[in-house]
Amino acid sequence: MGGYAARRLMQAVPILAGVAVISFGLVHLAPGEPIDRFRTPTIRPEQLEGLIKLYGLDRPLIEQFWSWIATYVQVWRPEAWGYSFLDGQPVLHKIAERLPATLLLGGTALLVTMLVAIPLGILAAVKQYSLADRIITSLATVGYAIPAFLLGLYLLFFGGVVLGWFPLFGLESFGKEGDPLDMAWHLVLPVTSLSVQSIAGWSRYVRASMLEVLHQDFVRTAKAKGLPGRRVTYKHALRNALIPVITLVGLTIPTLLGGAAITEAIFSYPGVGQMGVEAVAQRDYPVVLAFVMIGGIGVILGNLFADMAYAVADPRIKLG
Amino acid sequence: MTRIDATAPEVRRQEVDLDEFDATPIRTYWQLARQRFLRNRLAVAGLVVLAILIVGALLVPALTGDAWSRAALSKVNGAPEIGTGEAGELIFAPLGYSEIGQNVFARVAKATGTSLSIGFAAVLIVVVIGVTIGAMAGYFGGWIDNALMRLVDIVLSLPTLFIILALVSFWGGGSIWVIIIAIGITGWTTAARLVRAEFLRLREIDYVQAARALGASPVRIMIRHMLPPAMAPIIVAATLGVADSVVVEAALSFLGFGISQPEASLGNMLTEANTYFFRNPWLVVWPGVVLIAVVMSASFLGDGLRDALDPRQK
Repeated sequence: MGGYAARRLMQAVPILAGVAVISFGLVHLAPGEPIDRFRTPTIRPEQLEGLIKLYGLDRPLIEQFWSWIATYVQVWRPEAWGYSFLDGQPVLHKIAERLPATLLLGGTALLVTMLVAIPLGILAAVKQYSLADRIITSLATVGYAIPAFLLGLYLLFFGGVVLGWFPLFGLESFGKEGDPLDMAWHLVLPVTSLSVQSIAGWSRYVRASMLEVLHQDFVRTAKAKGLPGRRVTYKHALRNALIPVITLVGLTIPTLLGGAAITEAIFSYPGVGQMGVEAVAQRDYPVVLAFVMIGGIGVILGNLFADMAYAVADPRIKLG
Repeated sequence: MTRIDATAPEVRRQEVDLDEFDATPIRTYWQLARQRFLRNRLAVAGLVVLAILIVGALLVPALTGDAWSRAALSKVNGAPEIGTGEAGELIFAPLGYSEIGQNVFARVAKATGTSLSIGFAAVLIVVVIGVTIGAMAGYFGGWIDNALMRLVDIVLSLPTLFIILALVSFWGGGSIWVIIIAIGITGWTTAARLVRAEFLRLREIDYVQAARALGASPVRIMIRHMLPPAMAPIIVAATLGVADSVVVEAALSFLGFGISQPEASLGNMLTEANTYFFRNPWLVVWPGVVLIAVVMSASFLGDGLRDALDPRQK
């Protein structure tokens, strides 16, 4: 297992290198120059030249890329990922500051998704074609069709503005910093808007997976040898039906990280995603680069997690 | 070989009941697909809704001229009205007027047109890139396949929405073409994988081998012999892709990176509605309804097409 993980991480290196090339190109091939934002009427030409020298912009692009990537891998140094153009803070420091909030939002959304979608999917499958199944399936169809950002907007209006039940922005109220109840209250709307679509998708997936397992021979055998129906359904069948769900977890983790950007922006949530959107708007290139790299690392780790957890859960799968 | 007796068909005609054959005529693949599709009520409903949206998006701006962008101070947040104006012109504003006095109905129609054309154009790019890369990977295999699939892995590892945001923001604030290209060049991985899988399968099938043995060029084999049977999953993916692209465009414009006033898109209408929510809360409803209708009908249509075009896959 350890060897497999190491091999997979080795395979991830060229992919990350590709992500690095693309994100570097994204910034350096963009019209205008990275230092354009410093071009104010009062800046002296020698100051500009100093900046060009400082960022190495007078060197060939390939050379710039190599020196950039060389410092980029030295993540133990705070200056490795450069400094934000906006406030001069080390990018790594800024991300580390905001990552916990994003992980809290994404983690809660993932947890809510699992706790709601898995029971609904099982219920729909066990009682196939019943009223409950039809309601769940229809709701899933509707939920899947509502874009997350639209739902966020509507929730903000109806839950926050019209009813006034929930706060409109942020993670904490002024004067109540660190109060877990206050945080939970702030999390309700963003978590809901992030979860609905994935609940819809997951419940359909769990339903299909459960139905497939329920029709397999070993389930009929278990029933035939006289085991009670509940035991067959919830022990024999369920365990097998949930194995493919692990893949979903791996695939959902990076989208919760990166896809949360818009939700974070709508709710002015102090996470990495909102910082990324702001950085794009302000052309804060070092932060943009960092966000793309974090996204790439998230996808790779998510996939690795999915494959390894799959092998742990299902002994028939051999990692190689 | 014995000579075929010219009278033989006549003889046979007496033996089999011809009416039985007439009742079950030989149907082509497309006739069967159409029959399966029409039996799926949700899919037909999706097609109808999508058709209504497209026709409305074309017809309403054509009939109402510049009503979608004309701002009338006297009509700010005005109530819905249908009738004729002072000069005898037709007024059709069943959804009222916006914060700057624009006809909301005409504006929603125009925005639907903008969003759908971005969706279709972006999907066209997705299909062209995806089919080319998938076809080359699947047909040639070997190191070409390896290299192209690593490229797919890299693009899949990118935070797509964020890349689109950055491309649109850095390259051309508000340009429709930049938005289309940004969505197109980031979204082709699914299409490429589907086409690759189909081509890997088709490559080994006898008729393709026969075409190769007869000396057909790779390009001819791919386009003439392998692409048509691989179309079903491409059509399904493209249908769903239109909806995805429309949503991405709406999100971009909503965040202020995409299309801005006076141009209309579902996303920037939501931004305005957001700003003026207290004075005219209805503005937030209409673009959202259209957006959900597009996504839902495209997903029904896509599912229906999948069942109709590729009955093996269920």
